[in-house]
Amino acid sequence: MTAAQKAIAGRAGSLPGTPPALDMQGVGKAFDGKPALEDAAFTLEWGEVHAIVGENGAGKSTLMNVATGVYAADSGHQAINGAAIAPRNPTEATAGGLGMVHQHFRLVESFTVAENVLLGLGKKSRVRSVSEAAALVMAKSAEIGLPVDPHRVIADLSIADRQRAEIVKVLLLGARILVLDEPTAVLTDEEARALLDFVRRLARQGNAVVLITHKFREVAAFCDRITIMRHGKTVLSGAQVEGISEEEVARLIVGETLATGGRPASRHGAVRLSIKALSLPARAHGQGLHALDLDLREAEVLGIAGVGGNGQEELVACLGGLQRPASGQIILGGRDILTATPQERRHAGLRVIPSDRFATGMIRELSIADNMALTSVSEGAFGGPLYLRRDRMRKRAETMIDAFDIRGATPERSAALLSGGNAQKVLLSRELDPGMKVLVAHSPSRGLDMKATHFVRTAIRQAVENGAACLLISEDLQEVLSLSHRVAVMNRGTIVGCRAADDVTPEWIGALLAGHA
Amino acid sequence: MLDAAFLVRRQQPGLLLSALSYTGGLAFGLAVSAMLLVQAGVPASALVDEFLVAAFLTSDGLSQTVTAALPLILVGLASAVATRVRFWNIGVEGQLWLGAVAATWVALHEIGPESMRLPLAFVLAALAGSGWIAISLVLKQRWGVNEVISSLLLGSVAFLLVQHLLFGIWRDPANSFPVTAAFPPASRFSALGWGQLHAGLFVAALIALAVWFLLERTRAGFYADAVGLNRQAALATGLPVRRTLAGLVLLSGALSGLAGMVIVSGTEHRLNQAVGNGYLFSAIVIAYLARAKPFWVVVVALALGAVFTAGNVLKVFYGVSEGMIVLVQGTVLISILMAQFFSTYSLNRPS
Repeated sequence: MTAAQKAIAGRAGSLPGTPPALDMQGVGKAFDGKPALEDAAFTLEWGEVHAIVGENGAGKSTLMNVATGVYAADSGHQAINGAAIAPRNPTEATAGGLGMVHQHFRLVESFTVAENVLLGLGKKSRVRSVSEAAALVMAKSAEIGLPVDPHRVIADLSIADRQRAEIVKVLLLGARILVLDEPTAVLTDEEARALLDFVRRLARQGNAVVLITHKFREVAAFCDRITIMRHGKTVLSGAQVEGISEEEVARLIVGETLATGGRPASRHGAVRLSIKALSLPARAHGQGLHALDLDLREAEVLGIAGVGGNGQEELVACLGGLQRPASGQIILGGRDILTATPQERRHAGLRVIPSDRFATGMIRELSIADNMALTSVSEGAFGGPLYLRRDRMRKRAETMIDAFDIRGATPERSAALLSGGNAQKVLLSRELDPGMKVLVAHSPSRGLDMKATHFVRTAIRQAVENGAACLLISEDLQEVLSLSHRVAVMNRGTIVGCRAADDVTPEWIGALLAGHA
Repeated sequence: MLDAAFLVRRQQPGLLLSALSYTGGLAFGLAVSAMLLVQAGVPASALVDEFLVAAFLTSDGLSQTVTAALPLILVGLASAVATRVRFWNIGVEGQLWLGAVAATWVALHEIGPESMRLPLAFVLAALAGSGWIAISLVLKQRWGVNEVISSLLLGSVAFLLVQHLLFGIWRDPANSFPVTAAFPPASRFSALGWGQLHAGLFVAALIALAVWFLLERTRAGFYADAVGLNRQAALATGLPVRRTLAGLVLLSGALSGLAGMVIVSGTEHRLNQAVGNGYLFSAIVIAYLARAKPFWVVVVALALGAVFTAGNVLKVFYGVSEGMIVLVQGTVLISILMAQFFSTYSLNRPS
């Protein structure tokens, strides 16, 4: 035990020899054969605030979801306060002392705080009435110094109030270890500071707190130790926050090597797509866009890196014509398409691969042939308005299925039955048509296995070598770096930096991701 | 143990499985109905006779079944067309009333030359139905007003309008009931010499064929499916979402209006306070059971027509109450709906 650890243990009142609050070793978890966690380890001491940081998809939330019984681990073991436990669901985990506050709160909106607590306590509790639950809430609220009114209805509360209600609820259900998944993402700076102050106090009272976060300044100011995850592995386990530099953290988050090979040959052509001062007001559950500028050239891939939720979805929606920006210009082929319909944009050569394929790209319930034909039916590719040539749709689909090697697909099969990789191939086969001039691809290989990922990237590479311009928006830094000629970083709804791919360093990206530039 | 089992959605229910579960559902519903009817005093031996023979296998019964099915086909199609684009037309009855009013206006005021009366009534009834649903459509497209509420309430408004006319200027002075005078022959569908069946049969058949072609074979039908299943994706892929939605919703209103015309010009030959009653319920049930497929709408409408016919026979000959007839219909329908559920989901035990 280091001196600092002793100091923490001393402050929290736990003595050397006390078992750790939470101990996870050798944890593995795969989804559809794709590893999300590999030999991950995590040790949490009583009395500390412990940060888990990493990129999107690094496995932070997955690790904590395993700990709280949302997912069952494939391998590894876990102990709470020295006792082995493998919770089968969050209720068991909370009863065992481990509770998680998710980004989306588990509260019934039409109930009051006390009613939510009563609901959570369940049948086994001796608490039977709302007034008893309310008394519990008030007592807990006073004990931990977190103001919560038990009689308010959740729907009437602000986000910060709901978060406090959720924390009190989780503690009342028996948690002494609190896991907070990016709790400050939804808060104002002031609310965030108040919350983190509270979290620190709570830990010092003899509890333990895990803070999943992206923000180094929160780690530096409020956390005792830090664990860093990358690609499902623990790359730094429980280091003292004191004495670790932001640059080092950024380097560990991003990785030592930035593989940049395999980007398509570029001819540095004319500007194809130009976005000027694009702005979109922020909504309740979304990031706005603030005076966003960028230029995209012919035969170029411009990669946009960034942590999800910083306006990427909104940018793609504005480009595709699904959201109307408040101001700015989107110039495509010399024409401002800011107010153009999706169909007009398509005629101008714009194609979009959305991050959520079945939300805006494809229609799950329709057949593969129908999905492949969606965009070309109106152009008369399959007969006039009065008679749809389904035979031609079928034939075209067969050709596409062969050309894109979509295994196991037949034209009549429902798109819902496609695997992620094959669904993406169907989408690509439709969007990468000869009329495509500008491709906006949002996380095109998200959720795909290695082979499908390779296929998708090769397809984009070929399209760009044939002269298309590609805006690649991805939270996967490796993906951005492996394809892009230039890399831009997006943070809080705007582009905060842009460089030629060769000049990109982990420190530069890390600093911009952390919002320090 | 039921609490340790869970439902799993079947990926693509097989044809045999679907057929089996529907047959099972129907059989179950009929068995429960039979028990109810026996309890109500209908001799068990007469049940098969009345249900199957009376509704389908006698000439009189069959003609009655088909006649009853004509407006059911039209309202079923109306509901199916709107359902395809996920517009919940709960105002079928309102549009039907308006169509009936339009046809009655042409008939009572003897508008146009005699040979044109029926075609004119046809066009006006369709327009009246579309016009009535257009209110809900505009309210929804402009201000996001929920069409379930607006179309339902407009149904009541339409009924009040009909009452206003029946108790007012259109009341037949020779009749003590609030009904209009009988239509002149030029405004009646000619009888086909088989029971009550009339030339409206051809109208309904042609319309059903046309709607089937529109939904299953044309570009608009393709758009309709895309818009109904995933509006965002349809928008993003550049389909004419608003136009498709508006076109099909107006068609839905027109079909309901035509149902009104077929009733007043085909069987009633006058407007009264009862012609539109119950069609909303029937329309929804038909479209739901037929899964909004025009071909199955016709099949289900005929089946429902048979249930009405059998119900009438039971009422007349065995003194079974109207409520009992509705109960039987409900029992059969809910059994089929349960069967539909089990053909899409399977009950699994955790491994």
